[in-house]
Amino acid sequence: MTDDMNEPGCEQHQEELSELALGVLTGRDRARVLAHVDSCPRCAEELEQLSRAADVVVQAAPEAEPPMGFEVRIFERMGVADLGRKNRFRPPRWAVGALSAAAAVVALAVGLSLGLSSSTPPNQSAAPPRGVVTASLVEHGTVVGRVAAHGGAHPWMWMMLVDSSAQGTVNCIVVTSDGVSHQVGSFVAKKGYGAWVAPLHVDPKDIRSAEVVAPSGTVIATAALG
Amino acid sequence: MSDDGLLAGMALGEQAAAVAFVRRYQRRVFGLAYSMTGDAGVAEDVAQEAMIRVWKHAPVFDPRRGSVASWVLTITRNLAIDALRLRRAVPTDPDDFAAAAMRSNEHNPEDAVQRGDVRHVVRDALEVLPPDQRRAVVLAAVYGRTALEISESEGIPLGTAKTRIRTALIRLRAAIEHPEGVSDDR
Repeated sequence: MTDDMNEPGCEQHQEELSELALGVLTGRDRARVLAHVDSCPRCAEELEQLSRAADVVVQAAPEAEPPMGFEVRIFERMGVADLGRKNRFRPPRWAVGALSAAAAVVALAVGLSLGLSSSTPPNQSAAPPRGVVTASLVEHGTVVGRVAAHGGAHPWMWMMLVDSSAQGTVNCIVVTSDGVSHQVGSFVAKKGYGAWVAPLHVDPKDIRSAEVVAPSGTVIATAALG
Repeated sequence: MSDDGLLAGMALGEQAAAVAFVRRYQRRVFGLAYSMTGDAGVAEDVAQEAMIRVWKHAPVFDPRRGSVASWVLTITRNLAIDALRLRRAVPTDPDDFAAAAMRSNEHNPEDAVQRGDVRHVVRDALEVLPPDQRRAVVLAAVYGRTALEISESEGIPLGTAKTRIRTALIRLRAAIEHPEGVSDDR
């Protein structure tokens, strides 16, 4: 190591310091520049500063909502038992009664149970009856409702929102496995709450996801059904 | 709690810290993987593996070598590059990555600023870079392309590729050191 601030070779290594900082200098070039940096305090300092700049570029990457069940799968791999309260599906007390009643009406009408429970964690509900696909509606990683698609001769869809950001008329759209979006209908959400049933014109087995979409086109919540 | 605090909790086996850490970073990790691969399935595999590696290696994280965000996202980036190579898949266009980065917002911006998040500074700095320099530095910093690879894929002389990378990185460094001084001085 030397204190010489003008170590021979600095000029010829300047350009490669950036590539070294970015981690894209390889083989002999990398070894040569590292050997120089090791003996040149000025280039070592320069490399440290450039490395800090290089490291933050990936931090500019846009955020994106992971697929349904992402964190559950991670927690399973980590062996984390308690998924925490925030991600549990907990409608407010007043909504539990109203929505349970609505679910009971629907269940009676078609002779099935949707397996809804205010204390059931997302993605861990009881298996739905045959011909029915269900999933949690998720907004920014938090479960804000549930959707169920029932097959048979007259397919239909049921959707419920609780404590979401939806307000006013919202559209329900399903995306089939061929990537095509189908509008199922629209309903009115009041301060984030709403429940709704409508006929379905696609086979539930073909549905990949369901979305609650604002009139502006903004997707409020999504559910992975496929 | 700070990122370092959460990571320290993870290292000690605190489940609550692991849960909080995953929830804080899952959108960023998946977002980076998805913006590089353009495939939700591949991005989930990458993001899952990245989170598991962070959890396993939390005890050896050295805060003197950089921020938690930088460490986590570099692990993600490297896994995404490996996944793209393994699958011989076509990565997304760096211009699309930069455009998405520049118009994106944090899920919880106030919380991010409190934790010393530098994303807004980097985005501002990327925005004022000339497009060819921005593309070069994104290709190198995000997609792991060497100067030679950039010169070949962009159809430019090697010296030009090196100059673009270097000039862009020096400008980014200046912007990070003096965030208030970011300006369009092309």
